[in-house]
Amino acid sequence: MIELIGVNKIYNQGRANEVHALHGIDFSAEKGEIICLQGASGSGKSTLLSIIGCIFGPTSGRAIIGAKALSRLPDRFLTLHRRETIGFIFQQFNLISGLRVLDNVALPLLPLGISPGERKKRAMVLLERFNLSHRADFRADQISGGEMQRVAIARALVNDQPIILADEPTAHLDTALSHDFMTIIAGLKETGKTIIIASHDELVSTHRAIDRIIAIRDGRLHVS
Amino acid sequence: MKFTGIERQLNILDYALHSLARRPGRHLSITFIFALVIFLVASFQMVTASLKHSADVLLKTAPEITVQKMVAGRQVMMRVGDMARVGKVFGIKEIYPRVWGYHFAARNGANYTIIGLDPARQRQLPPYLDGVKMPLAPGEAIVGLPLAKLLDLGGRRVFSLARGDLSLKSFRLAGTFPAASDILTGDLLVTNIADARDLLGMKADEITDICVSVANPAEVRTIAGKISRVMPGTRVLTRDQIRKTYQAVFSWRSGFGSICLLTALAAFFILAWDRASGLSAGERRETAILKVLGWQTTDIITLRFWEGGAVATMAFLLGVMAAWLHVTIGAAALFRPVLMGWSVLRPNLELVPVTRVSDFIIVFTFTVLPYLAATVIPAWHSATVPPDAAVR
Repeated sequence: MIELIGVNKIYNQGRANEVHALHGIDFSAEKGEIICLQGASGSGKSTLLSIIGCIFGPTSGRAIIGAKALSRLPDRFLTLHRRETIGFIFQQFNLISGLRVLDNVALPLLPLGISPGERKKRAMVLLERFNLSHRADFRADQISGGEMQRVAIARALVNDQPIILADEPTAHLDTALSHDFMTIIAGLKETGKTIIIASHDELVSTHRAIDRIIAIRDGRLHVS
Repeated sequence: MKFTGIERQLNILDYALHSLARRPGRHLSITFIFALVIFLVASFQMVTASLKHSADVLLKTAPEITVQKMVAGRQVMMRVGDMARVGKVFGIKEIYPRVWGYHFAARNGANYTIIGLDPARQRQLPPYLDGVKMPLAPGEAIVGLPLAKLLDLGGRRVFSLARGDLSLKSFRLAGTFPAASDILTGDLLVTNIADARDLLGMKADEITDICVSVANPAEVRTIAGKISRVMPGTRVLTRDQIRKTYQAVFSWRSGFGSICLLTALAAFFILAWDRASGLSAGERRETAILKVLGWQTTDIITLRFWEGGAVATMAFLLGVMAAWLHVTIGAAALFRPVLMGWSVLRPNLELVPVTRVSDFIIVFTFTVLPYLAATVIPAWHSATVPPDAAVR
């Protein structure tokens, strides 16, 4: 499902402010696997997630995400591949605050030309699955942090992407809500999703659903 | 997965409208300013069209050819007998005399235009004189509404004007021209030819114009040329020439106003460019989120285009509606000093609204299209926000 071979990422290459963010990363993840990625701020964690998330390609090396080699894809196709393959869950949830919960969940479907009725149907199925159907017409900034997190998960799943990336998803949640989050993630594993969670939270790294923990330091991987 | 271009456009338009609603202050302010600019441009366009239309309608009652004698470049009197020379020209249906001149009223510093018509010709004054019994009896007159107000008649029907020797000439008011004709009749007094001569101090057989109507309207220019040849030293004016003079005067004034408005328009587009290119932190973040979620750069440009299009359409509708009300109900109060005002007597203008699709297209072309053009490059620039901004 995901395969990185000798991946390097250099920002501002050839300039005075050049930053070598990733060094020869070799990494793979199978379908249905849940991996916890750990690393301090500035370790290259976000860069690695961005490459796996098809936001940009590597400077060198091979990155094969969902059977497609990223380094050969121009930006336009990178975006198309991203929306078909990757679902994102952000640390800050990144919901559009003035929009209804229902519309936030359906956001990835808009440029696909899916009709309003079909969008609503798909979004409501997910909101019901995460016990949020009663919040569908609330504005995103009118719901609690835990609900926001579940809305973000629903949005990441609405286009049925096979890979889910979560960046510090429990950073703004209390213990109970973090536990709820991991319960949902464990449920997704059963549907065959490949999930990579970047997190410092022990509750995440020690959860039974986690198959592997990978640490990243100074742009290099350390597998445990 | 079903994919249709129209559904995609509708979805993005739907999101664009929600997006505008989420930032009402920002978008309402630009919509209001844009609507104001469109209001000014559309008002000017509509006023000019209405004035030209009014002049056209009224000039239909003017003679097809008017002959005036010129000496040293100035108009001088002719004799009734001169009409016989014009009558020799083949193709003329009717010839009749007309007297006109200016009466200066020292009391209010205004010049009144006095026209004396042959009683047989007075029946041709309609369509704007319903209810006035024709022909006028001796001493009767019809005046424009602004002039009637200036004469301060109150309920009286009789008034007097001073002749050149300061003796008084009395008139009885037979009626007033309707307000819709104010543009041409505002300072006008129409009376019998003999009464006009009496007021203006002319001799009994003197006339100022020979008015000609022709059998075949297509022959007007040919006949005018023939009249010039049989009556050297005359100025032969066709109705079409007079119409063109009016159109030129209105177009010149309209053009002058338009230049002023285009300056305001240019300033607005600079503002629009500035606003469109200066994305807030929240808008940059939102763009990055949308791109991470799979929106292409072209989707973001489409979104910005629809936002701009919605603002421009709303401003256009508001501006054009306000302009229509300004012209029809408000009698173009803002522009009257620019487009009117030949004399002390300002017409009490009631404009007949002329709704022409071409005027709306012109206003749309000069306002909405430049606005969209001014915002499309900043929109493209804003769409290039890198998606990783949402991940960090």
